[in-house]
Amino acid sequence: MAFSARSRLVNPRLGTYFSIFAALFAAAFLLALILEQLSVSDSALRLAMLLVPFALYMAIGLSTATQDVLGYFAAGRRVPSGYTGLLLAMSATGATFLVSASGTFFFAGFDGLVLLIGGLSGFVVMAMVLAPFYRKFGAYTVPSYFGRRFENKLLRIVTAMVAAVPILLVLAAELRLGAEIAAQLTGFGIYAMVFVLIAVVSICVAPGGKRSFTWVGVAQSLAMLLALVIAATAVAVLVTSLPVPQLTHGPLVRGLVRNEVAQGLQLIQVWPFAFDLPAEGLQAITKPYTQPFGAVGPLGFAMGVSMIACGIAAAPWLLPRVAAAPGVYEARKSLGWATFFFGFTILTVTSVAVFMRDFVLDVVMVERVGPLPKWLFDAASQGFLKFDQSLTRLSFDTLQFDRDSVLFTLPVAAGLPQAFVYLLMAGGIAAALVAASATAVSLAAILGEDVVQGLSWEPASNENRVWITRVFVAIAACCGGLITLLAPTDPLRLVLWALSLTAASLFPTMVLSIWWKRLTAQGALFGMVSGFGAAAFAIFSSEAGYFGIPSVIAGSIGMPIATGVALAVSALRPEANRHDVEVIRDIRVPGGQIIYDREMQRLQLKKHTRT
Amino acid sequence: MIERKERKPYWRDTKWQMLASLIPFAAVMIVLPLYAEQLNQSRFIGFPLGYFLAAHGFFAIAVVTVASYVNRQNAIDHWHGANEDT
Repeated sequence: MAFSARSRLVNPRLGTYFSIFAALFAAAFLLALILEQLSVSDSALRLAMLLVPFALYMAIGLSTATQDVLGYFAAGRRVPSGYTGLLLAMSATGATFLVSASGTFFFAGFDGLVLLIGGLSGFVVMAMVLAPFYRKFGAYTVPSYFGRRFENKLLRIVTAMVAAVPILLVLAAELRLGAEIAAQLTGFGIYAMVFVLIAVVSICVAPGGKRSFTWVGVAQSLAMLLALVIAATAVAVLVTSLPVPQLTHGPLVRGLVRNEVAQGLQLIQVWPFAFDLPAEGLQAITKPYTQPFGAVGPLGFAMGVSMIACGIAAAPWLLPRVAAAPGVYEARKSLGWATFFFGFTILTVTSVAVFMRDFVLDVVMVERVGPLPKWLFDAASQGFLKFDQSLTRLSFDTLQFDRDSVLFTLPVAAGLPQAFVYLLMAGGIAAALVAASATAVSLAAILGEDVVQGLSWEPASNENRVWITRVFVAIAACCGGLITLLAPTDPLRLVLWALSLTAASLFPTMVLSIWWKRLTAQGALFGMVSGFGAAAFAIFSSEAGYFGIPSVIAGSIGMPIATGVALAVSALRPEANRHDVEVIRDIRVPGGQIIYDREMQRLQLKKHTRT
Repeated sequence: MIERKERKPYWRDTKWQMLASLIPFAAVMIVLPLYAEQLNQSRFIGFPLGYFLAAHGFFAIAVVTVASYVNRQNAIDHWHGANEDT
């Protein structure tokens, strides 16, 4: 068997290591299942389901510590495509697209698909338009890419500031959702849990930067996927007798179509630009599952899909991930894996929502006889839902569910042991951690590389570079936590705002910087700033009520503005720059040396000759 | 390493490949959900067709689009000698 130079770099034992992790995680769950039946104290089990995975993550994080710059910022460029894809998909999913999205699908039904279609399209666009070229360039952060691409320090620092805002929003959203789930699991307060999560993220990611995040993130992604798949499959076997929840919930959907309208759910068409995905907190089901455009209007749907797609494609916490792939071909392939893993996860989440709707339909059916089922009282006692317990008959509007607890209500409704709830919560926390780590490490790299050292092309010594970023990982995590504590906001909303800000500022300029040779540094700078400004202004004025379009999609008006300004400024003041032309020629061809590494070598040589 | 005279044809092929993959995909992405209501009248393995196409169908389309793009673009790279050293 022939090994190429690139495949030789990959650690052949990765599969073994992560099989061991998956086996340990599954064993922890099975042990919890056994101990629950043996009547071991509930609070001890809950604590164990929080702390055992944490211990595993931290052990992996500490054992992958590194002082090597390439290892610290790009995981040594030796992460195989499957793992890169898994990380990309799960960092984009996070707890918001897992836990909040299961509630979104549960309430909004078809309209929730805006998240699935947007996310999938994001990865497809990233695969074709950005990722291979970004990998050829090989920069560790998006601002470094812009700075080096145009040889412009101002552009580098401005990009760092523009990119930091959406990253912070996502970090705050994930920390908040993760802390809420951890608080539900252990019974401690949310504040305490935010600090615990900040500590876990810092300990897991700071020792080895991207390298630690890569391997801890893969473990967390596996934990999240295992939790979701085990719970959904168990329920699918009980309800449909087949262990493929993604494909077998069809007859249940048909049952929903037939019966929901009969039980009083009517579709009220909303105006075309509406984008009313369910907010956090308790609410009743108001629209039938499969009928489109009861919460999101047709134009809102199209705008939302494009905004999520462009936001994910250029996300500064996702895109630098491909710089860790062993080559351009692997970078493209990893996006195929990302598409697969993302779609698989969200389709499983839709099946969870359908199973839950089916259980609710059984409760509210007029033909139902006998007392209310026991699971309603169990779920209400855990705070997952609310209803008037003196009633003997319930309808859709007298039964209120918590959006971010729908996922955890599923095992309770199916009559599964409580250990399944803990497993799902551990999965939800893992999802929050993987997205929080991805954002914390990207933000730290941006602050350490492009803000602190932004004024000079020559980086500090290797050791200092790593230590500066290591300190910033903890600072970034604390900043995210601070936002969570000071201004608690609906996590799904925060993530959508972040995506729309990215789509309006970074996406158009990044695409043009690869596909349009004549883009100048000024054009990129003005385009990015005007797009960001327009998006931020639209979001604020929509929140204040001055602008009719919902704030979540209002930001996407920045996209055409940024494109127009970048094109106009570059066309009006063209710059014939030899460096830019050479770089863009080089970016477009996969073969040859990595541009960023070559520049670094050149700078080091220069330094040596001087000293 | 790519030859100098191959650069232009290579970029032309890459551009066309990107457009040929992305434009039909983007069209499906925008148009499919708009017709879901009408398609929901039919059934497929128990699912209302519009819902099935927008969820499972779109997932399959996305995976196939990326897979075929990766395969074709790799062929273009090799054809013009623009591929990475192995």
